[in-house]
Amino acid sequence: MAVITLPYKYLERLTRTDKKTILDKIALIGSDVERIEEDHADVEFFPDRPDLFSPEGVARAMRGYLGIETGLPSYSVKPSGIKFTIDPELANIRPVLGAAVIRGVSFDDESIQSIMSLQESLHWAVGRGRSKVAIGIHDMDTVRPPFHYIASRPSRGFIPLDFKEKMTMAEILEKHPKGRDYAKIVKDFPLYPLIVDDDDHVLSFPPIINGERTRVTIDTKNILLDTTGTDKRAVGVAVNIICTAMAEAGANIESVAIGGVQTPTLAPAERTVSVMECSRLLGIDLTAATMAELLRKMRFGAEPDGADTVKVQVPCYRADIMHDWDLFEDVAIAYGYDKIQDLPPKTFTVGKPHPVQVNAALAREVFCGLGYLEVMPFTLTSEDVLYKRMQRPGRPGVLHVMHPISIENTVVRTELLPLLLEFLTLNRHRELPQRLFTVGDVVDSCHTYQQASGVSTHPEADFSEAYASADAVLHELSVDYTVKESADPAFIEGRRGDIIVAGKKIGVFGEIHPAVLTAFELEHPVAAFEFDLRAVPGYPVL
Amino acid sequence: MAELTQNEKRLLAVLVKEEKAEAPHLADLLAATQEAVVQWAHLAEDKGLATVERIVSKEFVYTDEGKTYLKDGLPETQLLRFIHPGTQLADLQKHEAFKIGFGQLRKKGLVKVEGASVAKAPGASTDADEAALKNPSATDTKTKDLFKRGILQETETVRYTVAITPEGFALAKKGLDLREETGTLTREQILSGSWKTANLRKYDVTKLPKKAYPGKIHPYQRIISEMREILLEMGFEELYGGIVQQSFWNFDALFQPQDHPAREMQDTFYLNETLPLPPGYEKVKAMHISGGETSSTGWGGVWKEEKAEQCVLRTHTTSVSIQHLARNPNPPVKAFCIGRVYRRETIDTTHLAEFEQLEGIVMDEGVTFGNLLGILREFYHRIGFEGVRFKPSYYPYTEPSLDAEVYVEGIGWIEMGGAGVFREEVTAPLGINYPVLAWGLGVSRIAMLRLGLKDLRYLHKSDVAFLRETPSLRQNKGGI
Repeated sequence: MAVITLPYKYLERLTRTDKKTILDKIALIGSDVERIEEDHADVEFFPDRPDLFSPEGVARAMRGYLGIETGLPSYSVKPSGIKFTIDPELANIRPVLGAAVIRGVSFDDESIQSIMSLQESLHWAVGRGRSKVAIGIHDMDTVRPPFHYIASRPSRGFIPLDFKEKMTMAEILEKHPKGRDYAKIVKDFPLYPLIVDDDDHVLSFPPIINGERTRVTIDTKNILLDTTGTDKRAVGVAVNIICTAMAEAGANIESVAIGGVQTPTLAPAERTVSVMECSRLLGIDLTAATMAELLRKMRFGAEPDGADTVKVQVPCYRADIMHDWDLFEDVAIAYGYDKIQDLPPKTFTVGKPHPVQVNAALAREVFCGLGYLEVMPFTLTSEDVLYKRMQRPGRPGVLHVMHPISIENTVVRTELLPLLLEFLTLNRHRELPQRLFTVGDVVDSCHTYQQASGVSTHPEADFSEAYASADAVLHELSVDYTVKESADPAFIEGRRGDIIVAGKKIGVFGEIHPAVLTAFELEHPVAAFEFDLRAVPGYPVL
Repeated sequence: MAELTQNEKRLLAVLVKEEKAEAPHLADLLAATQEAVVQWAHLAEDKGLATVERIVSKEFVYTDEGKTYLKDGLPETQLLRFIHPGTQLADLQKHEAFKIGFGQLRKKGLVKVEGASVAKAPGASTDADEAALKNPSATDTKTKDLFKRGILQETETVRYTVAITPEGFALAKKGLDLREETGTLTREQILSGSWKTANLRKYDVTKLPKKAYPGKIHPYQRIISEMREILLEMGFEELYGGIVQQSFWNFDALFQPQDHPAREMQDTFYLNETLPLPPGYEKVKAMHISGGETSSTGWGGVWKEEKAEQCVLRTHTTSVSIQHLARNPNPPVKAFCIGRVYRRETIDTTHLAEFEQLEGIVMDEGVTFGNLLGILREFYHRIGFEGVRFKPSYYPYTEPSLDAEVYVEGIGWIEMGGAGVFREEVTAPLGINYPVLAWGLGVSRIAMLRLGLKDLRYLHKSDVAFLRETPSLRQNKGGI
């Protein structure tokens, strides 16, 4: 999530109201206030609204929401006369380039920090960690246009930002901290992307690092923005968000010619939406006029066009407006969620429990009647617990998690009994007898189904207790079963039985093998059983 | 006063005659062990009927070594006896008491070694040591030396003396019912009617009972069941689905772009399994690329079948509800699912890699965002939260989206869960032509509040004592 620092003085100046008015309402446009400090607030905004990742963007939205300035913000763009060329070799490497000239900026340490943090937030939310979009900001007065976006040999060198010596691009990927962080985006290509000026000075090695030459300082007056990436729309949005934020701060935006096309235009997109559709979705009565007014509050250009239609101009920085309903959400926000009448729907329906959960609830009831206490172990476990300590062979249907977080969480459970034994280990110091049960999901390959299992430990726990308990639960659940001698190595030979239903083994009961007890560091005998709840009549075929 | 036990009565009856006696004597008279007598006496003492005096006496005991010395004299005494003018050190060394005795003599300054011969110091005597050996005294320094040398040991003997108090005497004088007591009634006593004359023992009801632990439902399961019942009461159908899901149903069908950060390996548990895509998946693909036949632009870019075929541990139960909707596209559908979901998070006190999610969906002709707010308010009221409010939020597959906050006394407003209307990009490719209201929440959040847990892991790695002590009925105040 993007947490944006909003310095009060700057925010108040841009919004043209006091900080209390702003902070009281800021959550209502979609944010979480994280911290209120002496001189600033830290506010979290959602990833679909990267246009709010700067104080300038927040002020723009709040001016609208508070009614200080509504409707479409307009930005004028003059051509700078500057050209970019693109090397066709980049087509399979990093084909998309966006750029702009931002003139008349006045930086101090704080505002440099602010634009750097906007840049980083955009890298995260729009750029997918710079792979889709990467942004470079340069002091334009240190280089000479036209500029060239080229594919260059990794052996080419320049002085990267924050370094004193020249390094080759290959070295940067190995040694520079940013190089190491983002190397994976370019390292497999034979040539790397590079932006140079007409004197062959390096501006940037996107998406890794800028050159030291074009470093932005408090003396910087004019900025050259470069944005490279793999997705045309995302690159365009990033350029628009930065340019409009800088324009809000008082700078002038100029376009550049990339392959002959002037960019950016900062022009709005057009959408025509239905008032009826919006009213129906939100459950509020709207006219075209009120809907247009609400949209203007959210900084859209909006005018009624007949009784059921509103013509909307979507500002160029609103990356999230993909569908008409995205506009309807803004209508709802402007209207106020607290003012929408909240009535449950009228349609008559009847509640219906799922048979799997009905059976599970019944099994729980029977276990409780036998004095068993329910526990709810994790479903992620290890083969050590499931098989090795149980002396059981591994199951072919066990599912391995591809990137486990720890060695205790490498597979999804295929049975419940080992987890109950683990529970007894955890509670060794507690009073005996302990009788525990669990009912829940296990997997067999990609298929999920339910099992039930119970354990009882105390100095007299034995085969007859296991048999009696298993029989009671199976009987109560109407499972018509027979028993035959088991070969399950988790149990003592001659004190173990397989539960057979329709000729198929569905469970096992008996006295846990002393070697298994030792593996679980248990000191008293354990009477145990487990079975497949699919054997219970009424279990649906899923 | 609490009732006297039969044994206390018997003790008092004896004490009336004895007034004061030692425990062994009383034990003889009562044909019981000393320990039992002392226990009864203590019970009587608690009631002010007797006094128990504990007398500790210390005695000296000779070790085996000490016993020999008592007979033969201390080693230094034996050597002194052996030393005469002109005794050679070499000869003395052959004496069996030399090893211990000579050191003692040197320490006490009783001998002098002159060249090869040994001589007594003037007036050398071990009489005081011998006296201490024969008549040890706790205050004597010579005796203490003998302790240190392991010749003497001190033992403690505890004796008990029991005496009757005037209150005890008065009570005994009033008469004691000394008939034999019946503890547990027998079948024979009930059938024969002998219970009528039996002296049924009266128990001290103020004493705590021995604990009995019933089998019971886990407190967390109880909360899950409560939510489930609320939803059934509200007319919802329960869904159940697999924890292993195809990325297609977990992400793609929900219009989650294929390059979305939540789909990365860092956030989702991937499995080394694939499943074939369902028929009609091309419509979902078209939606991602270009927005299909709706007013949407889609995400653009590419959409790869291989990514959608990959299996994951479901990151939300929405993967189950969306399949239910795809199978049942005709209104009305009101359904819910409570199940384990998985996020690849580092486990700590407030984050688990697996937790229960509750999700509800309503699909019907003409249902609105306002209806969604109404359902949520009703649902949270039924759980017990009086104050419910909504604020804008963002979820990739709903539009509009919201977060529900509830008011908790002593904490304030807390976020409980998200909700929204399924995007048309989600519903249209699956042939669902009516709005779908959806909401979800993490059940463990409520469990943590209600059970006062500091650590979420405790729900799944529970202490049996905690489960035994947590009552099944909890008085919920304001939802927690």
